[in-house]
Amino acid sequence: MTGVIGVGVALPGVTDLADIGGGTFDRSAKVDPAARIGRKGLRYKDRATQLGLVAAHDALVDAGLWVDGALTVPGESVAVLASSNLGNLDTVCEVSATIAAEGVVSTSPMALPNASSNVVASTTAIRFGLKGANLMVCNGATSGLDAVHWAATMLNAGRAEYAVVIGVEVANEVTERFTGSTDLLDGAAAIVLQAGAHGVPLGRFTRSGALSDVVSGTDGAWFVPEGFTGEAPIPGLANATRHDLAESFGRCGGALGVLQCAAATVLLRAGATEPVVVSNDGHEAAAGLALLPTGGSAQPEGNGR
Amino acid sequence: MSWYVTGTGAVCSVGRGTDAVWEALCAGTSGLSPLRSFDQDKFRVTHAYEIDDREGAEDTPARATAWLIDAIAEALSDAGLDEDLSGTPVLVGTGLRELRSVELWWDKNKGADKDGTAQPGDLDRLHFGTALRERFGATNTYTFSNACSASLYALALATDLLAVGEAETVVVAGVDGITTSMHGLLDRVHPEPPDAVRPFDRARKGVLMGEGAAAVVLRKQDGVDPATAKGLLRAVGVSCDAFHVTAPDPVGIAASVRQAHARAGIKPEDVDLVMLHGTGTLLNDEAEAAAVAEVFGEHAGGPVMTAVKSMTGHTSGGSGLLGLVLATRALTEGRVPPTVGLVQPVTEAAEFRFARPGDGPADLSVAQVDAFGFGGVNAVAVIERTTA
Repeated sequence: MTGVIGVGVALPGVTDLADIGGGTFDRSAKVDPAARIGRKGLRYKDRATQLGLVAAHDALVDAGLWVDGALTVPGESVAVLASSNLGNLDTVCEVSATIAAEGVVSTSPMALPNASSNVVASTTAIRFGLKGANLMVCNGATSGLDAVHWAATMLNAGRAEYAVVIGVEVANEVTERFTGSTDLLDGAAAIVLQAGAHGVPLGRFTRSGALSDVVSGTDGAWFVPEGFTGEAPIPGLANATRHDLAESFGRCGGALGVLQCAAATVLLRAGATEPVVVSNDGHEAAAGLALLPTGGSAQPEGNGR
Repeated sequence: MSWYVTGTGAVCSVGRGTDAVWEALCAGTSGLSPLRSFDQDKFRVTHAYEIDDREGAEDTPARATAWLIDAIAEALSDAGLDEDLSGTPVLVGTGLRELRSVELWWDKNKGADKDGTAQPGDLDRLHFGTALRERFGATNTYTFSNACSASLYALALATDLLAVGEAETVVVAGVDGITTSMHGLLDRVHPEPPDAVRPFDRARKGVLMGEGAAAVVLRKQDGVDPATAKGLLRAVGVSCDAFHVTAPDPVGIAASVRQAHARAGIKPEDVDLVMLHGTGTLLNDEAEAAAVAEVFGEHAGGPVMTAVKSMTGHTSGGSGLLGLVLATRALTEGRVPPTVGLVQPVTEAAEFRFARPGDGPADLSVAQVDAFGFGGVNAVAVIERTTA
């Protein structure tokens, strides 16, 4: 089994982690990465990477793995997984347009790392010295929950002791045009998982689309797929309190599942006594996951603090 | 724990299908040709190892998706399975997803908003799940965009899935097409434009991109007849250098090779064949050779080594699994594709026994397959012969 021992976010208008479960935020208050984690190391990094670093930093600090600028556990024991669908589309499109207009000599060599979609995951590893498995998941609507699931799978298989899972999407001209929407998340969330009975336990995961595989029901919170207003797919969720994070932050894409898990963890840490269900639903797949109460303790043992 | 590879599929610039690719590479055939996808005038680097599947000059979207589907269909057929993957996880490793389709979309739509004709892109086909559902009914699908070690990373995750008991059979694949942005930025950073990929040669100038896909069916040992298996996957080690966004770190590479050996329960002297990552860049080849030489120590001259990117170009995220597919053939047949264009090896690889054209058959039992990617993402697989 695995549990969440750290949470961090880089979300517009959010100043208190306790608020991220829902509500309205000043989305014009864009995240300023340099103000959060310092300017050093951010040069030439694309926006997605910068936001991911902020969220990962806060989650590692929250988990007690990053103290006074140093890792408290061996770097080899920490895996990094990041999820994003649109993260580097801006670089890819801008570079290809520059080449079409002016030829390759007009491109900047500093764009090279950002042309590779895994730049968020690898840059996080470099910044914090995390030498375990390093994986970028770009898997559509379920990508964020998929990343959480793969992190748990790797921990269960003994590949690492800890995993930082980051979800990030960016709002810019390219991503807005690509999605046909101006209501896009420009932010990131991160959680830290630890193998074993620590923190907020992860329950069951499903990719069948049947939430009954995850939980028989809950009267607690249900983080629904973006824009979901339909009937509860299982009777046990009829009385659940719905949270649609896209209402608060815009379409979250590949960041959604991670952001949902972060928000679920916050609720459970605050003493929620019912399981929290998170679900993503996309064009070709659906994913669901439960996060479980820790016995009512707001600060469960072994959460690293 | 070990797992059987029961079917393989491959497509790249030198051929379609594992048989065709294998025979072409054993014969030393190169897929190098002048750039077809892009306007040559825009670049200094004007060659690549593309799959020639277009009518006319115009580039078309979703080519990578089509190769992926072909490779998986071949692997399923080879494994004696039908094409219903509704109950089977499919893990796809890719460096560049369908980013070439995004570039084509942007090229058409970037200036079109003023007259209101701009169309959104196809978010559901940026990853491969939609196409896999349409063709194979697969819903448990994952696209991992993990640079040039992506497909071996996917293979590692498949072994984890089998190890924790979440699946009996997993389809693993890798695929990449060339994007203008990656081809162009690699062009931009080369001191002088390479005209061919010459892994480990002192006169190498750098990397050229290639296109291709590979797929395998991976199964738990229970219930599989070893005589029908293509190979026994012993382990896949994965790690991250945590060193640099593009440059490799010999220390990290050596650690990933050691991890793979330890997981497989083997020593360097047990390895008979190394499918090197061998991209032909100045940095990779030095770092990889130094790392392999260090790990193998006095046994560095033992295994046969080869770098097939000398014929396929750098097939990016798909290259690791292509190497694994070729390794299954090499183990079975005792033949090894040569490292074409290698005249004088770099100092770090001085002791390596590179495969040459005309080499006689060899008795090969255990192969190591390397894949290293931008960001220092390392993956190394160990696979064993199943036939006597």
